[in-house]
Amino acid sequence: MEHIRTTKVEQVKLLDRFSTSNKSLTGTLYLTATHLLFIDSHQKETWILHHHIALVEKLALTTSGCPLVIQCKNFRIVHFIVPRERDCHDIYNSLLQLSKQAKYEDLYAFSYNPKQNDSERLQGWQLIDLAEEYKRMGVPNSNWQLSDANREYKICETYPRELYVPRIASKPIIVGSSKFRSKGRFPVLSYYHQNKEAAICRCSQPLSGFSARCLEDEHLLQAISKANPVNRYMYVMDTRPKLNAMANRAAGKGYENEDNYSNIRFQFVGIENIHVMRSSLQKLLEVNGNKGLSVSDFYSGLESSGWLRHIKAVMDAAIFLAKAIMVENASVLVHCSDGWDRTSQVCSLGSLLLDSYYRTIKGFMVLIEKDWISFGHKFSERCGHLDGDPKEVSPVFTQFLECVWHLTEQFPQAFEFNEAFLLQIHEHIHSCQFGNFLGNCQKEREELKLKEKTYSLWPFLLDDQKKYLNPLYSSKSPKFAVLEPNTVSFNFKFWRNMYHQFDRTLHPRQSMFNIIMNMNEQNEQLENDIKDLESKIKQRKSKQTDGILTKELLHSVHPESPTLKTSLCFKEQTLLPVNHALRTIEGSNPADNRYSEYAEEYSKSEPGVVSLEYGVARMTC
Amino acid sequence: MASAPTSKYNSHSLENESIKRGTFFILIDKEVIYICPFNGPIKGRVYITNYRLYLRSLETDSALILDVPLGVISRIEKMGGATSRGENSYGLDITCKDMRNLRFALKQEGHSRRDMFEILTRYAFPLAHSLPIFAFLNEEKFNVDGWTVYNPVEEYRRQGLPNHHWRITFINKCYELCDTYPALLVVPYRASDDDLRRVATFRSRNRIPVLSWIHPENKTVIVRCSQPLVGMSGKRNKDDEKYLDVIRETNRQISKLTIYDARPNVNAVANKATGGGYESDDAYHNAELFFLDIHNIHVMRESLKKVKDIVYPNVEESHWLSSLESTHWLEHIKLVLTGAIQVADRVSSGKSSVLVHCSDGWDRTAQLTSLAMLMLDSFYRSIEGFEILVQKEWISFGHKFASRIGHGDKNHADADRSPIFLQFIDCVWQMSKQFPTAFEFNERFLITILDHLYSCRFGTFLYNCESAREKQKVTERTVSLWSLINSNKDKFKNPFYTKEINRVLYPVASMRHLELWVNYYIRWNPRIKQQQPNPVEQRYVELLALRDEYIQRLEELQLASSAKLPDPSTSPAGPSQMMPHVRTHF
Repeated sequence: MEHIRTTKVEQVKLLDRFSTSNKSLTGTLYLTATHLLFIDSHQKETWILHHHIALVEKLALTTSGCPLVIQCKNFRIVHFIVPRERDCHDIYNSLLQLSKQAKYEDLYAFSYNPKQNDSERLQGWQLIDLAEEYKRMGVPNSNWQLSDANREYKICETYPRELYVPRIASKPIIVGSSKFRSKGRFPVLSYYHQNKEAAICRCSQPLSGFSARCLEDEHLLQAISKANPVNRYMYVMDTRPKLNAMANRAAGKGYENEDNYSNIRFQFVGIENIHVMRSSLQKLLEVNGNKGLSVSDFYSGLESSGWLRHIKAVMDAAIFLAKAIMVENASVLVHCSDGWDRTSQVCSLGSLLLDSYYRTIKGFMVLIEKDWISFGHKFSERCGHLDGDPKEVSPVFTQFLECVWHLTEQFPQAFEFNEAFLLQIHEHIHSCQFGNFLGNCQKEREELKLKEKTYSLWPFLLDDQKKYLNPLYSSKSPKFAVLEPNTVSFNFKFWRNMYHQFDRTLHPRQSMFNIIMNMNEQNEQLENDIKDLESKIKQRKSKQTDGILTKELLHSVHPESPTLKTSLCFKEQTLLPVNHALRTIEGSNPADNRYSEYAEEYSKSEPGVVSLEYGVARMTC
Repeated sequence: MASAPTSKYNSHSLENESIKRGTFFILIDKEVIYICPFNGPIKGRVYITNYRLYLRSLETDSALILDVPLGVISRIEKMGGATSRGENSYGLDITCKDMRNLRFALKQEGHSRRDMFEILTRYAFPLAHSLPIFAFLNEEKFNVDGWTVYNPVEEYRRQGLPNHHWRITFINKCYELCDTYPALLVVPYRASDDDLRRVATFRSRNRIPVLSWIHPENKTVIVRCSQPLVGMSGKRNKDDEKYLDVIRETNRQISKLTIYDARPNVNAVANKATGGGYESDDAYHNAELFFLDIHNIHVMRESLKKVKDIVYPNVEESHWLSSLESTHWLEHIKLVLTGAIQVADRVSSGKSSVLVHCSDGWDRTAQLTSLAMLMLDSFYRSIEGFEILVQKEWISFGHKFASRIGHGDKNHADADRSPIFLQFIDCVWQMSKQFPTAFEFNERFLITILDHLYSCRFGTFLYNCESAREKQKVTERTVSLWSLINSNKDKFKNPFYTKEINRVLYPVASMRHLELWVNYYIRWNPRIKQQQPNPVEQRYVELLALRDEYIQRLEELQLASSAKLPDPSTSPAGPSQMMPHVRTHF
């Protein structure tokens, strides 16, 4: 690689910013084409993907060496001290180059090879099929149909080819409407609620300026409201703060005038734009440790970053949307400015509240594919995959994941997946290891031939499903059909396992979930044993019934009393001190020794979540 | 749980109450309007016994809306006058010790609130009316006697005491040496009773350094006491200095004794003006002194008041986090925990004996020693162990429960009141959040303790010290809270508890890891959907039950198959494979 001058530096120190004792590890730093690797004296490896690097800083030389601070997009901060300044400088320069690629083709996904053949690769890409998903929702139907208007990306470059629109909306109406919408993103179906026959639609802002009108656009909205046989009124949610929307009018854009559209109720919901979100996250990271952890004003710092307020705003919007459908049976059209950031957040989160399918592992993948990837959330720009405009970078998708995390906290039984799943997805929107999140829209992805040259993330996550299962998930409980989250202030908490995921001091909940997971497995094992034994007994029974032993068998049915007796006293034993019972089992059967595993979990001090990174690394090797 | 009265008690608990011996109705069936801060005014009927106040709604199927032990009441005020205008402006406003207020509106005609006001005042504040506290009337019976839980001799024996460095002394048998200490004390073997008497003259309220806990392996100790009476002139006392040196010498591993003064440095200095102070370097050569910066009872009281302001009745919405921070409650929790961690670490890793004191050694000192012991000794993390810890470090060593809580006392503004014990329980809760498998008890256990800290149903927390309790024959005349808990332990158990011996718990006392105990402080707010039981616990209990069922099933099958099949040629594959799972139970 032309950017790498030094591949190995010895005697490098790694400081742990969470450790209270200011301990440091000494080891060797390696620079590979894709990763920065640190191996300490205990042979423990720390892998950092170049694409994860958000910022590299070389600090002033100290007596012990030259400090190199690397901030990662997964919120890891590593602090190396390189003994010789020249080495530090070389690494610094290399990382600057390696972390900011100019071309898609230089991204990791194009060289990543998980040893799969072409058909496996293709199968992986076919795992999530959006046509299938629309069918699941119940479209096309008598009111909604697939439109071929954008088949060649002629109407809207940033939309997918396949779009669902009201059956009564003719092509001229669609074309006309698209001309009246920013970037041609005209109103299309995002989610169809089969029972309520109501729809979530999405678009970008109208080019209304101060007074412009567009009959086709008005017709299209009318067609959407007519496609709902129950409620002729529809909501138009502008997810921006009113002030921003008004300002947009001066630029010839703006929002719908209620007078021009029949049957609409217009509503602002006030989510701030990508620039506000970016600087809010920056502030959040500052109070939370970029500049040291010993801040005493943690809570007021958290508040002044505004981050949780923004999360709440997104959540409130989604709740509004879900209520409109559930309570009023009304269809809702959601937009912001271009309809790819806030609109994606609100549509996807709203669907997640309404439809329990999206709370499964597979369903969540579908949701991301649909509302984020296919509808052109600009992943590459928002995540800064390439060396581009830093003003386009914004944690919009991270916010979505955080909203979902808050929901999992409030409804621990409603989700099939756990926190690790969300963290892993977050890891990969930045890793550029898989093709899913590369590019900014479907058209661009096709041009990059991602399906031929890269792999899809989803099959790899599905293969590892066991790691991401939530042991509390109760799929059938009707309690969790539609989620109605409570947005009272104290429910919004700092997501420690995201923003401090490399804090190794504590991960208590994880350990509890591990216990439950292990217990679950034990029970499954027992269940299998029972089945085994039952079938064996059955077999023998049938053998014996023809044999001479029939008599004896009849006899053996009777002496149930000893069996009953032992099981009874056993029951008593377990009822009293649950843990004693546990111990006795485990003590004699090391195979399922929950206790020792658990103790190990603690002594390892390296929680499951943290090993994510190693997961990435291992895949690459 | 007496904490969530709504819906917890169905209507016939009223009848139960009247049957329960020791309680009697004083006021029956009085029509009032309860001004619920969450759901607006509710018309209902009030019933008052000498123990509690009930409110039964007249609107919604006579559901019980309120069930409040009178002991919880800290203040009763009349609101409005006979001439006040406006709806529901005339009535009573009751402030409770458990983070809530109750408002009742009554009819203005005929002084209708007078009887209710007088009865409540009389029975909520019996001390002012020379009436007995309810605990002395309570005739509840339990099948376990909670008073036997703590036996100091047994507890010290469990710790391996006496040994050749430490002895048990009965010098305080009649509470003559120190009236706020327990009768039985553990002191260095080499200190004579006369030494102890001389040391007592130099310690505030004669609370001399005595042993709280000894490390089972390295034999370092946690010793507690009050501040030395140094005063402005910097008095010294040879006996006290010698005594501390004797304590130091019981541990040969380190040449210094560590003294933790729980107070902020300035407060300790200021105490010199009133005759108190701290151990100076010149006088105590072989000791190192650290201040732990924990504030006094008044600061804590004001801090909790601010917490109440932001959570009751309405939860602060727009500036929740900064408001929470400005109460400083979590910061105080953090300081107490940090102090206890230092004590524990010093004893366990630093292998140094530790002396802890504050001013009088009954507030912050009790917090620090008991929390450090909880971190160091897994025994105290069991239900009974925790009861012993509270009984020992708090009750027997004279944490002034009567003054801090004001049982049956009408002086709601008494400067002696302070939520020191609540703060301790909060710290325990924080620890249980961080170590979800380390404690045998659950959150409900902690909340139940706090509920009965105020309720006056049990004698456990009455009076300021052991001598007063003995005088009042509390153990004979009242029921112990531990009777209630230990006779129904399953309710208070944490299913995740995994007993571990000798594991020291070091909680992370950083703001990032501390949170407000919503299920306690905000429990009256209907917007917190308390998921009872907690889904994580619930799932685990279900799995445990399922496993037991499976194992039983498997056992039965095995017995059936082995009984059925004497034929050796076909059997070995089956049961022998299963055996490991089951054999263990026999």
